[in-house]
Parts: sequence; C-alpha cells; structure tokens
Amino acid sequence: MDFQARSTPEAIEARLTGRLEFTDHDRLREIVVLIEESRSQRFVIDLSKLEFIDSAGLGMLLILQEEAESRSIPMTVRGAQGDALRSIELARLGDILTIIK
Amino acid sequence: MRCAPSSWRVLATSSPSSSDVAPTDVAADPADIRRFVVPRGRVAADAAARAARRFGAVRPDHAEAVLLDGPLDRCGLAALLAVLPADGWPLLVELDEDGAAHGDWPATPMPGPGFLLSLTTATAFAVQSPVAVCDALERRGILPERRRSAVELCLHEAVANALVHGNVGVPADTRDQPDGFRLFGERVTAALRDPAVRRRRVDILARWGEGTLDLAVVDEGGGFDPAALERPANGFARSGRGFVFMRALANAVAVRDGGRCTLLHFDLHGPPP
Repeated sequence: MDFQARSTPEAIEARLTGRLEFTDHDRLREIVVLIEESRSQRFVIDLSKLEFIDSAGLGMLLILQEEAESRSIPMTVRGAQGDALRSIELARLGDILTIIK
Repeated sequence: MRCAPSSWRVLATSSPSSSDVAPTDVAADPADIRRFVVPRGRVAADAAARAARRFGAVRPDHAEAVLLDGPLDRCGLAALLAVLPADGWPLLVELDEDGAAHGDWPATPMPGPGFLLSLTTATAFAVQSPVAVCDALERRGILPERRRSAVELCLHEAVANALVHGNVGVPADTRDQPDGFRLFGERVTAALRDPAVRRRRVDILARWGEGTLDLAVVDEGGGFDPAALERPANGFARSGRGFVFMRALANAVAVRDGGRCTLLHFDLHGPPP
C-alpha cells in the first residue's frame, strides 16, 4: 500500500493506493503519525484508488478511527469500490465507521 | 506491481521412473537467474503425505516436483507458475536458506489434478502467493474471471492466518491490545529474524475437478482451537474477520489438524454463495 497525504486547516486526507493487507503495519504507523501531528478538524481516508483490502486492513481502518477519535477528530472513509467495497460490506464496517461511497 | 516479461520455460519434465536429480531443468532470463533442480520422481514426503490425507486419491504415476533454490520474488513466482505444465502433478517446493526442505524426499505420489506450492515463511511474506496462484488458475481456465476476486480473497486470508498466527505465532488478539498495531508489527519483524521461523513452511494445495476448486493451506505453527471460530465476532475487534470472508465467499470452509490446515471448496459453475 502507498498513500498520499493532503492537509488543510479543515481536513487531513490520506489517499490509499494498491493493496492494504497484513504486511502493511509499518505504513499504518506513518498514517497514525499524520493524525497525531494534525491540527485539522476532520480526517478523511480516501479508498477510491485502493484495489484490495483484507481483514487485517479493515482492522487498520478501525485503529485509525480510534486514533482519530482519541484526538476528537472525526474520521470518514470515502470512495471505496470494487473488491475493497465488498470487503467493507462483508465485515459490516458501515455499522462502525462513517463511510461515504 | 508490474513484472517484466520473463523467459522462464520448462526444458524438461520429470520422469516418474527415474530417481536421478537433474539440475537446471528450468531456464531463466539471464538477468533474473535462479537455479532450479527437478528431482525426478521425487516429492517431499511430508508435503505429499499431507496432500494425500486432505484429498484422498493419488496418482502414483505422476509424481513430480520442482525445487526452488535461491531467492524467490513476486515476479519469479508468477513467472514460474505461468509455465506449469498443463498435465502432471507438480509440486513446487522452495528450499530454505540452508538449501534444504523438510522430509527425506522418497518417491511419494501426489494427488491431483492440481499442484502444491510449498514456500518458506520468509518468502511467503514477500511474494503475494495467493495472487500468483489465482493468476495460474485463471490462466489455465480453471478459475472463471467472475469468481477470481472472491477466491483470491479467501486464499489470501487463509495464507495470512497461516503465516501470521501459525508460523510466526503472533496471537490473533494482539491487534486488539492497547497499542496493538505497533506490538503486532514488532513481533512479526522480530520473529522473521529467527531462522527457525523463516524456514517454516506454508503449503498451498490446489486441486480441481469438473466445475470445482479445492484449496488447502497448511502451516507448521501451533494451531488453534477451531471452536473459537464459532464464537460471534466482536464488531469493533481489529482482528478475526478472515473467516467471516471465507465463509461468505467459499462454498465450504473447514479447519483440520488443530487449526494448521484450512480447506476451501468452491463450486465454480454455480452461483456464488
């Protein structure tokens, strides 16, 4: 998985590309650092370019949500499609995360 | 990841009657050289025995194995699986860092039609073997495109479990602990420095019939209590969804050998479950 970060006073956005899976925990740390250093009011994870996400990757989204919530920054997951959207729906993450298609 | 075109080609197939070891039976692009050895008529005893237990029928006249010697990367694995012979019962066994594989390599038959890919943990972490396996199955016309992504996700989850929780031995609930993701990454990294962990095997067996595909993923870890799978998953948990995916997308899922073997069955001609 790779990601690009974009930060404004209103929101910090991480656009993920490629595959988010169990070997990506080190990259997760980098995104957590983004949240830790953010002064933005919202955190957006853009999955529109993400090709694949496994169960470990879904767990990482929950971790990011907790990291954001602990700093009172609401997190939104945006743009998932294809296989990534199927994984999110199978796991019913829409019950837990704020997801915008 | 895009791989450069490869010139892997099979120069010889194994002979079931010979016990000679013939070096360099598969040639590679000079820029991407790896040594291969085909032990004729020989397969890894333990791998073949496990395969036979899972699938029953055997074809004693078609034992065949390819030993993969040297570093195997993602493109190399993809190239190798692309040239699997259409018939025969190949076993593809990566040698570990000491140039060894488990078992004494007697002439043990393999069931089929299908193939077995036996990788070390160190390699399996790096090569995205489920993608390569599904590419090979799709290329052979066994796996229809419309079922490809579901099969790949199931196989991916089974392999991830085998590697992380089986061979590496990181407990499934590690990520649920405070600061769990850091702990998880540190434990995996530390474990993969241990040669004993690095050489543990994960075997992927693929077998197909008329409109069916069976996959088995076997590891050498400590296993787990399959009864734990019956407990409802906590929606907020950071782990435990792999079997949710497998049960939703495969026609049947079974766990054997105290959690060390996951079996996936797919009816490819019928509607998805």
